[in-house]
Amino acid sequence: MQLGQGRPPVGIIYDSDLGNRIDDVLALATLYGLDGKNECRVVSITISKPSLKAAAFGEVIGRFYSGAVSGAFNAAGRNLPIGLATEGPRPEDTPMMKAVIDSKTAEGKPKYEHGIHSLNDTAEPHAVIRNAFTSQHDQNCIVVLAGPATNLVKVLDLPGTKSLIERKVRTLVMMGGDFSGSPTVEANIKADIAAARKLFAEWPGEIIVSGYEVGAALRYPASSIEKDFAWAQTPHPVVEAYRAAETMPYDAGTWDVTAVLEAIRPKENYFKLSGPGTVQVDAEGHTKFVESAGGKHRYLSVDEGQKERVVKAFTELASAKPVVRAPRFRPPVEKKPEPVKPAQ
Amino acid sequence: MNVLTGKSLPRRSFLRGLGAAVALPMLDSMTPAFAASVKAPVRMGFVYVPNGMDVRNWNIDYEGKLGTLSRIMKPLEPMREDITVLGNLTHNNGRALLDGPGDHGRCCGSYLTGIQPKKSMADIHCGISCDQIVANEIGHNTRFPSLELGMEDARQAGDCDSGYSCAYTNNLAWRSETQPLPPVLDPRVLFERLFGADAGLSSQDRAKRNKFRRSILDFVSDDTRKLERDLGPTDRRKLDEYLSSIREIERQLERAEKDNVHISPGMPEPYGVPADFAEHFKLMTDMLTVALRTDMTRVFTFLVTREGTSRSYREIGIPDGHHPLTHHRNDPALMEKVTQINTYHVQQFAGWVEKLKSIPDGDGKLLDNCMIVYGAGLCDGNKHNHEDLPTLIAGRGGNYIKPGRRIVSRRETPMSNMFLTMMDRMGVHADHFGDATGRIDGLNLT
Repeated sequence: MQLGQGRPPVGIIYDSDLGNRIDDVLALATLYGLDGKNECRVVSITISKPSLKAAAFGEVIGRFYSGAVSGAFNAAGRNLPIGLATEGPRPEDTPMMKAVIDSKTAEGKPKYEHGIHSLNDTAEPHAVIRNAFTSQHDQNCIVVLAGPATNLVKVLDLPGTKSLIERKVRTLVMMGGDFSGSPTVEANIKADIAAARKLFAEWPGEIIVSGYEVGAALRYPASSIEKDFAWAQTPHPVVEAYRAAETMPYDAGTWDVTAVLEAIRPKENYFKLSGPGTVQVDAEGHTKFVESAGGKHRYLSVDEGQKERVVKAFTELASAKPVVRAPRFRPPVEKKPEPVKPAQ
Repeated sequence: MNVLTGKSLPRRSFLRGLGAAVALPMLDSMTPAFAASVKAPVRMGFVYVPNGMDVRNWNIDYEGKLGTLSRIMKPLEPMREDITVLGNLTHNNGRALLDGPGDHGRCCGSYLTGIQPKKSMADIHCGISCDQIVANEIGHNTRFPSLELGMEDARQAGDCDSGYSCAYTNNLAWRSETQPLPPVLDPRVLFERLFGADAGLSSQDRAKRNKFRRSILDFVSDDTRKLERDLGPTDRRKLDEYLSSIREIERQLERAEKDNVHISPGMPEPYGVPADFAEHFKLMTDMLTVALRTDMTRVFTFLVTREGTSRSYREIGIPDGHHPLTHHRNDPALMEKVTQINTYHVQQFAGWVEKLKSIPDGDGKLLDNCMIVYGAGLCDGNKHNHEDLPTLIAGRGGNYIKPGRRIVSRRETPMSNMFLTMMDRMGVHADHFGDATGRIDGLNLT
């Protein structure tokens, strides 16, 4: 850290199956909204399904918010690489992804520019996440998992990473499972049951879980898409994705958005937090929370009285304007006299 | 093999004389009678150039089979079937990672170690470099477990970059986490290390002795004559060529020493170091060639100039310092000079590669049995970025690498992955090295 500067905002590592549901996109928009308010810095974006279009989708959204997403990296001469999983069945391109990635201008050019055209334009997700840990101050990093745990368990397998996580990561907040007693297996757990079991068993720090029932109870209003994004003078990828995901008007579930909000504003008491315990995942993917004093896991719930405030936060943050930051000033390099070579 | 006795020469044989020992190259007589041809050993080396590159003129915009090379790599075009150009390799531990400025110190310290060096001028701490991991395992097979060469600055203390010790900018090889292996800069010292035992003499003593000095070959002439009697005509010709090449190095050294005195008397250059960059490079690599050819070593590092150097290149009309030039702020005139320096470096390297390609070794040529990485620890010297590092490998590693290609890995692929792959080829199978996440897909043929 530079002398005279305070600790930077918490670094966010966001891993998701972007493009499956609109809440993935709303969650990313919310993250950038919080980044623009200096409440966090997005330091890593990784995708847990082998879809080049999903990676391109992530980069389009990142570029849209480019000042916010890449400010820190551009200042250091980097742009933010998108990590992409390569294993698993190749998912179909969803209408929301196609609406953004395939859309063209009147001149026939891509409406949204991106630099991902082959696998080599993406990065190994576990390397991206591990490298992002190394760039953060101790206990100044939060992981948000908004998809299957496929990428995160690969990170756990890298030598020395568990101790790195203990040192760097404040908490892992994830959307996954179901704690309402429903017999349904939640999609993020179902997508990679082995990874979910390993994550809950081996993640070295605290995990806060937002179950299916929380996001299902909090709906993102279609009216927000109509009015809160009216400031956008150019096409907005989040708006176009929302409109394409389902038939308008519809109020979307906010599963992944709940994880983002809890991760970055834990002291706002948007949600109720359980006592400590352990999340268990059975062979079929059903999740169960077992209370225990020494447990490292907790889960969220929401009551009627909290809903209005939470949804208000969602709409304000997701629809926030991008904040473009100027690159960090680099002083001119002083020319030093060449040292005298000593005789050997 | 001696036809009469059926005995073969040992692979590591020397011509010995008073205070001198000259290793022999691979001769037919070293092959046991009726045995299949001896497999030549694989050699691994690293040639490092500082201050990144002008990547506009380094990068090529295609993958797969090498065709037209970029402007900086152009001197290697005649050898393009023997090189592999790699893309997207990254050294995350060269990045600041909260340690502030000092990219030159970090990138050189992390280059072969894969570890983030500790920011300190006194309490240096890095990691064991991959060349030394290999040297520790296979070094007992050769006279020198490894050779460390350089051409510029061997200071081991002081601040060389924003609080990073000169030990980080001036060394590539690290024997332990706290012990770098300083490179030999003076061709005379290297020569005596390889062929003689009087490396410890002072410059004055050496000059005094040189008045009476004869060729080192004179000291081993008795042994040479004895050996020649036992050799067949092919081996006699090989031996003659080899000894002639040593004599040529001696002549170059003599010339360099005379030139130094003639051109700049009183200059603080180490004794015997040629004033001309190209000549110095050639001398060092000529001796390295002998060392590799005679199996004196299988592992080497060559820090061409120190990281962050402000050396000028008047030889090619560039009086400006290299490092200040790389902070060109996109001034086309300065960028052009950076490209010219980068190209000049590659030109020297290409000359050496061409030589390695001409020397018989086992069933092929010496270059076939080498894996020589040529690269920089920074990508763009102006941006100080640590991803997509300029990297190529010359040689086939003993039919392990299929060259003539450009292999682009995924972004953020650790450079350590390439080192792990090369260590495999040297017979050293490590589970982990530096920040590696695996091996480089498609680099090897296995």
